[in-house]
Amino acid sequence: MQRKAGWLDKFVDDLPSQGWFQFLSRHLVVPYWIWRDPKPVLPGGPRPSVQPSESVQRMMNLIMPLKDPSPIGRARAALAISQNVDEIFAGLDNVGTVHNARFLLLDGNICMLSVYDGDFSNYIRDFIATIGSVFDAVMKEVEGGDAMVPTTEHIEEFIDWVCAHDLFQAPDIATDLFNLQDAAKGIAPGSLPHDLRLLPRELILQLHSNPNISLGGGYRAYPGYSAAQVRQKFGVGW
Amino acid sequence: MSRIDHSQLQGNILRGYRFGLVRHMLLEVTDRATVRAFLGVAAQGGGAEVPAITVDQPPDKTWPRDQKPASCFNIGLTFAGLRALGVAPGDLATFPTEFREGMAARATKLGDFGESAPRAWSQPFNRPEQIHLVASIHADSTAELDKVDTQVSRAFAVRGRLDGYALAQDKVYFGYTDSISQPKFSHVKDEVEPIDPYGTVLLGEPTRQEGLKFGVPTPQVLGHHGTFNAFRVLRQHVTAFEQYLDRAATELLNHPDSALVLPLDAQFSDGEKPLDRHGMLREVVAAQMCGRWRNGVPYGSSPDTMPDPASVPLTEYDYGRGSRCPVGSHMRRTNPRGGAIVQRIANYTRRLVRRGMSYGPIHTEGDSEPEVGLLGNFIGASLGAQFEAVMCDWLNLGLQDPDITGANDPLIGANSSETSWFDVTLRNGGTIRLRGFPRFVSTRGGVYTFLPSMPAIRYLARLKG
Amino acid sequence: MGEQHRNLARKLVTALQRKDGDRKRRPVHTFGTGASGHFIPSPVAAGFCDAEHFRSPTPATIRFSNGSGSAVRRDGWSDVRGMATRFHLSDNKATDLIGMTLPVFFTPDGESFLKFAIEARPRPCQRATPWQKFRDMLRLTPPVPDPYDGETISPDAGAIAFAHQHDYARAGVFQAATIGAPQSYARAAYHAVHSFVATGADGTQRWVRFSWQPVSGVLTTDPEKDPVIDDYLQAELARRLRNGPALFSLMMQVGEVGDDFNDPTRAWPPHRVRIMMGTLYVEKMLDDVTTEKLSFNPHLLTRGIAPSDDPVLWVRKSAYEVSSGRRRGTPCPFHGER
Ligand code: HEM
Ligand code: HEM
Repeated sequence: MQRKAGWLDKFVDDLPSQGWFQFLSRHLVVPYWIWRDPKPVLPGGPRPSVQPSESVQRMMNLIMPLKDPSPIGRARAALAISQNVDEIFAGLDNVGTVHNARFLLLDGNICMLSVYDGDFSNYIRDFIATIGSVFDAVMKEVEGGDAMVPTTEHIEEFIDWVCAHDLFQAPDIATDLFNLQDAAKGIAPGSLPHDLRLLPRELILQLHSNPNISLGGGYRAYPGYSAAQVRQKFGVGW
Repeated sequence: MSRIDHSQLQGNILRGYRFGLVRHMLLEVTDRATVRAFLGVAAQGGGAEVPAITVDQPPDKTWPRDQKPASCFNIGLTFAGLRALGVAPGDLATFPTEFREGMAARATKLGDFGESAPRAWSQPFNRPEQIHLVASIHADSTAELDKVDTQVSRAFAVRGRLDGYALAQDKVYFGYTDSISQPKFSHVKDEVEPIDPYGTVLLGEPTRQEGLKFGVPTPQVLGHHGTFNAFRVLRQHVTAFEQYLDRAATELLNHPDSALVLPLDAQFSDGEKPLDRHGMLREVVAAQMCGRWRNGVPYGSSPDTMPDPASVPLTEYDYGRGSRCPVGSHMRRTNPRGGAIVQRIANYTRRLVRRGMSYGPIHTEGDSEPEVGLLGNFIGASLGAQFEAVMCDWLNLGLQDPDITGANDPLIGANSSETSWFDVTLRNGGTIRLRGFPRFVSTRGGVYTFLPSMPAIRYLARLKG
Repeated sequence: MGEQHRNLARKLVTALQRKDGDRKRRPVHTFGTGASGHFIPSPVAAGFCDAEHFRSPTPATIRFSNGSGSAVRRDGWSDVRGMATRFHLSDNKATDLIGMTLPVFFTPDGESFLKFAIEARPRPCQRATPWQKFRDMLRLTPPVPDPYDGETISPDAGAIAFAHQHDYARAGVFQAATIGAPQSYARAAYHAVHSFVATGADGTQRWVRFSWQPVSGVLTTDPEKDPVIDDYLQAELARRLRNGPALFSLMMQVGEVGDDFNDPTRAWPPHRVRIMMGTLYVEKMLDDVTTEKLSFNPHLLTRGIAPSDDPVLWVRKSAYEVSSGRRRGTPCPFHGER
């Protein structure tokens, strides 16, 4: 027979909605676990994959903090983009693997969001080879960017930097988080037991290390096809 | 006059030695001081107990034209090796990420999964942290190899040895003539292909991509004119390959468009005996998969017959719009030359210097056939921009042309018979899609190494602490 | 091989039978709701799968079900749902497609599923004590949900313990534990989970996976609210069908190099090439007697579509036959086959 719920049950069940308990969780419980069980920052961008459909239409969510987040600094960043539209379009046309790309100013950040095909490093490298000068203008406005100007001569550092500022993409299958966390610690995926009930906590702690993330790999209407394949199908040449 | 001082480069970068045998020794540094002393002597012309590191051209230019040494000796260091020799952490951090992580960590990018996954690699590659140096000895006799081997063994803990040899006529298993195309660095008579800048293989030199420079690791003396090598042990599944050629030839023989694959009156021999139509179609499939007939003739130059290789230019050609050489062939994937590719800015930018020898047979219990394959070295100034870029976007995936995107290299790609496909080109511009072939080349091991210049080796020998 | 499968299948069916089950009914997916309708293939379907139902419109019988094997109907409880579809082909032939709301299975083969079925056998469950819950909150772990009114045994704790030890079970168990209850059988997505080999009109073989996507969208009940009634799904479907058919799109994912075609515990990410194969129109309710007699089998396939080597798919062939025999259903299509 089921045990009946008493007043104490009701009290505890109600705790998560109590302001004081929320305060306690936020300022005591969570910091405690962050201290007890810190999570390595998980790397940004899509993960390499042997499946072709995972290797096309990949997302970049690049968040670059501005040196000067005031309207003046933001305007300078905006100009760096708007004065170079020709360069950017010509560059993307000739990189050939980009489905779409756009820049946003979001709070104190300049963001580049794009969907591209193939390997991340190849994309960035080809991009810099064609429009490095535009990125130089952007990097001058970005925190820690000066050290990488000109980008054409700091290409490996720049690729690593972009990877670090590209958002971590949460796995499409929630429980894969365990494996990613293990991998970041050098533990072979699947070799440690994991209590499923701890998954929510793992996520909380991970969000401390990676506060901004992309949720899953996103939806695609026509997954598995490259930009060039789409252009070819439409008969507009590639 | 080039600014490159060839006496300060290791000799295995810009040239192939053309010896019959090779031995790659996989070495761990267990005693720093001994190794440093060894390297110091080796980089100064060697001594009684220490082999000399072979340079590209001795200062007095006596070699190679006048006298070829009895053996050549060269070294490459892994990231763990640089650390073991005492390179400062700040300098180590200036090496590129892919090299620091090492080949095993890059497995997914390289298509090393399933039976090719690092977990399944053979000794000692399954313990990459133990591999600090790869010492390569080239000679024409085992006695010469052994002589150097003995000297090397005194300074290092030997974790493995891999012996290779050149098959007759530069063949590889699968029967192709290899070692034909290479990047060209100095003025060579070739109206078709551009000259490759030295930055393709030497750090600190301009690259093919305008303005782009690969980072030179610090200190300058260590990084300058060094280069990187992807050393791969690639098993070739010869029986599966030949069986597949049979199957594909039968399919093409019975195909309604058979005459478009090869004219019905085509007649050629394999160099020794004339072939029947099935035999010829086997050769067509092999040729289209590679981009060259097995005798080395570029397929695009002669799609309807396999001519004598002496009668055709072997490297002076390009892939025009009408080329019958399939965009999915091994050669077009690894070097699209001037042909149209999606990444328009990338033609000729992902060049690789290739040095390979065959190995095997190795008999392992439970294995269906003895293991044979290729000990391959893929050399370039940036592993990320050259070797890896070719592997993950071109050789596999096929991003460079929408007609092959989603399919992997038929000859050596990471295929599975459930999903593989390859389009055979026809004389009328059409194609026939072949499917269902397995992976013919699997990875048994490999490491990324740094091939330092001579001054860099002397620098390593001088490190203290 | 066949006899081995049957032995394992018998053990599996026995292991699945719940204490509170009914031997005259199915040991799992015990309560169902039947309907009839027809399937209209999309214009591209036959190019990818040359089976008859992908070439021309085909009548279909459907049985929706709750996954639980309890003999009490609890539509409102969190549970996996099933959708078994029989396509009636010409010459009295048929083919089945059996889907469930989980995209993956718990284990990679029959033997491990037997272990799972035993370890996750429903056990007495209790409301967690306030102290346990408080402790969980301090561990940043959501407390174990209270049992429903009337719920005395549950497989959850056993399943979670199993997943703790076996990483392959994680994805399935995690999703099963949080799956909830649909507002309607017509508002859930169902996955056939295994890989099948589809042969296209040109003879090309592809390793594929099927999912039904409800055209009206996926909608679950509010997990915060207690279920009001135990039996609403059947009446809801009847009401819905009076206003017109319920539609499902059949989507087919195409597998790629590197995918494990024989492992049902690994979902394919949503980025595989996806083919729109056709639309199912669920039109008329079937009476319960007819419905509960039906015997589906995931191996009832037809030219153009073949099983992969997935061992779970293979053991299901015998398990469904054994089960159908025990409950005296209409003879399983493979009844008597040796
Ligand atoms: C066992 C494995 C391999 C075999 C049997 C093989 C075979 C061949 C053959 C027969 C040729 C034509 C000969 C020539 O032009 O010199 C060739 C060319 C080539 N291969 Fe491979 N190969 C293998 C692995 C690789 C790998 C892993 C790569 C690098 C990513 C690669 C890159 C190249 C390149 C760059 C060329 C020259 C293409 C050109 O410049 O036109 N190969 N290979
Ligand atoms: C080894 C694995 C499995 C075993 C042993 C098993 C066993 C069973 C049994 C014995 C039945 C009752 C059959 C009858 O009496 O007619 C059943 C029904 C069912 N199973 Fe499974 N099952 C397995 C895996 C799956 C999977 C992977 C799915 C999802 C695709 C699934 C979905 C269903 C559904 C929807 C029904 C109800 C069919 C109906 O409406 O008649 N099962 N299962």
